[in-house]
Amino acid sequence: MLKLEGVTKRYKGASVNAVDNLDLEVRPGEIFGFLGPNGAGKTTTIRMVVGLLAADRGRIVVNGHDLASDPIAAKRSIGFVPDNPNLYPKLTGLEYLNLIGDVYGVDGPTRKRRLDHYLGMFELTSAVGDLVQSFSRGMKQKLALTGALLHEPPLFILDEPMVGLDPRSAHLFKSIMREHVHQGNTVFFSTHVLEVAEQLCDRVGIINKGQLIACGTMDELRRASGRAGSNLEKLFLELTDAGGDHEE
Amino acid sequence: MRVATMRNRLWTLYLTLLKDHYGLSAAKYYYFKKRQRTWEPLVIVAGLAPAVVMGMVFVWNFTEKLFMAGLTFGQPHLALLNGALMVSLAGLFFGFFSVITAFFFSSDLDMLVPLPLYSWEVLGAKLAVVLTGQYGINLLILTPLWARYGLLAGAGAGYILSAIVVFFALPLLPLSIASVLAVLLMRAVNLSRHKDKLTLVGGLLLVVVMVGFQVWLQSNLGSGDPEVVMEQLLSRADGLIRAVGRVFPPSVWAAQAMAYSHTGVGWLNLLYLVAASGAALFVLYYLGEKVFLQGLLAGMEGTKGSGRARKVSLSAQSRSPLLAVASMESKLFVRDPGFALNGLIGYVLLPAMALLPMFGQSLENNPFELLALDQLPPFVLSGGLALYFMFMTAMSMIPATTFSREGKYLWQIRSLPLSIEQIIAAKVVGSQVVNIIGCLVGAVPVAILMGWSIWEVLLGSFLGTLLASALAGFLALFDLRKPMLDWVNPVKAVKSNLNAVVGLLIGVILGFALGMLMFATIGLELLWLIPIELLAAALALGLAVRFMVRKWAPGLWKRI
Repeated sequence: MLKLEGVTKRYKGASVNAVDNLDLEVRPGEIFGFLGPNGAGKTTTIRMVVGLLAADRGRIVVNGHDLASDPIAAKRSIGFVPDNPNLYPKLTGLEYLNLIGDVYGVDGPTRKRRLDHYLGMFELTSAVGDLVQSFSRGMKQKLALTGALLHEPPLFILDEPMVGLDPRSAHLFKSIMREHVHQGNTVFFSTHVLEVAEQLCDRVGIINKGQLIACGTMDELRRASGRAGSNLEKLFLELTDAGGDHEE
Repeated sequence: MRVATMRNRLWTLYLTLLKDHYGLSAAKYYYFKKRQRTWEPLVIVAGLAPAVVMGMVFVWNFTEKLFMAGLTFGQPHLALLNGALMVSLAGLFFGFFSVITAFFFSSDLDMLVPLPLYSWEVLGAKLAVVLTGQYGINLLILTPLWARYGLLAGAGAGYILSAIVVFFALPLLPLSIASVLAVLLMRAVNLSRHKDKLTLVGGLLLVVVMVGFQVWLQSNLGSGDPEVVMEQLLSRADGLIRAVGRVFPPSVWAAQAMAYSHTGVGWLNLLYLVAASGAALFVLYYLGEKVFLQGLLAGMEGTKGSGRARKVSLSAQSRSPLLAVASMESKLFVRDPGFALNGLIGYVLLPAMALLPMFGQSLENNPFELLALDQLPPFVLSGGLALYFMFMTAMSMIPATTFSREGKYLWQIRSLPLSIEQIIAAKVVGSQVVNIIGCLVGAVPVAILMGWSIWEVLLGSFLGTLLASALAGFLALFDLRKPMLDWVNPVKAVKSNLNAVVGLLIGVILGFALGMLMFATIGLELLWLIPIELLAAALALGLAVRFMVRKWAPGLWKRI
């Protein structure tokens, strides 16, 4: 579903790569957690996958479409929720969702059905006619999530989705991810919350200093580290081994 | 919940951007759904309507005069050319800033880029929003002009048809040229680490180049023996039209398309205009696909430190809170291209307009020859310079938007252990640092070329700084009354801020009043009184502002 081959990114003026020769494959129908310390390269990777940054080297393939040569088809396969959704403050929630629906070509009846479902689930139905600027951070997250799911994307990408959410909303987010995967789609998300990753992910990848240092199921990671009873936190700390701050 | 049926994505993108840009959804939400502040649109319409009607009447009358003047030498459609030229040049000049803001400095790009949209679709929708605003302005200017001309010339249906096509085609070319320049500029500057500085310098330079280009064209137009030139212009059919139209040739096509709409010449000119507009749009479309996204992504990428170990000299010298806040005020303004491009343009534009005509011409032919010291009695220059300093602090919009520019970061300054009086004082100092440097950067080259005395310049700068500081205090207080804090795009905090417009008006009115006082003093031949008057005005204004700040600022600060 998502394939990164030798993807490298160095920011202007930096002497080290933010993402360094990254190879990664996210399989269809799995929830993949992308972990790493601050500045490890998680957000840079995600921004390259969604087209917000251009990779210096390497290839990104989304649902069989090369992002460089066929960006529109690749982007059609993605639903993206950034860590801090930057939505038009002077539009109503519904106007924003209709924009997304039109851009992705979701027809009226389908749009209505899905909006009823997601807005009801997020308890946004009564607020969706209000201006986005009146929304709380959590409401904006939920609105962005609704927009990202409106076209039922084969690949759902979330950057730090749990930041700023109350426990109830966080629980809802996790349910949505599971539901999306049960429908045959794929979820790729970055997080700092290791418990969430451990609980939710089929596989995790750990990135540090721009390089993928571990990738697999929890059992595979435990086996690889030789610590049968370890939890993800211990494994993470051991693998990243006081990795200092670096380019994000 | 009303869910829209599916629409064309370019159309829906255009509508969404339009609603966001002009606050249409917000207006509908507040005025109709919430029924809040319903008096606001009425006040705005009531305030603007007389000015708009007066403006349209002026255009109507002016067109008649121009028609009659043109008729005397057989070129009555000079009036049409005048209108086309005005709106085209305004579109080119102001359009550049509008498109660069819409294309590269808007905050929605993070959201739009991951969507499956072609670059030309994003570019096209954003250009269409700017174009819509331009059509609105053109409608107010061109409707009375074209209607009056049509009535005077007894124009027929062909004229109306031609006018409709010209109306839609006319802004396309200047805005496309402005867009191409903006896309190329941003592609170039985004290759550098210092993109903010380069954007600022590049934008300001481009303005100087545009002004220089116009001056060059106009000076070429008037070169040679004026009598011979005028004879040639009047003897050739459309000679004057073509000469004036050299400034922007498509305006000639527009004028001739309408004036000769009953002949093949008119339709041929219309074809030229439409074809040129189409070609410009095609170039923009091509650049949009090839260059726009790269420039945009490079701009969004930002830059990082080198990562190499560097010796950093940590400044451990403590400063007073006033200087610390003042320094923050000036730095934050000049480092953000969204603020700086709009605020600093006057410091470059006015001296450029004064200096550029001097090249290639003797001082006698220069419209600014009056600025030469030997033409001015003593103290008049100092007084003029002082008023320039004062006016520029209003034009820079720094004090008039000082609290508005804090936006969602206002909490930072609110959480400092400083009183609002101290904060305003610091903000005035910060604004004056920029104002003094900005004014001197423009004034010193003019002073050198015109041979001004250093004492006149120093006296003018001193008096000007006092006047400007007092005005800045008032403008900061005015902004504190109702700061515009809910912006996302920094350009809106300065360009769409009513406080900045009011500040500019106050600057003009105060400058006019003091200018009239100076004029009267010159008439009484009491020139030595000019600096004393200005000093007294600065002190009186300063004391009044100090009183107002003490009385009202704490309450206003608490209310935000």
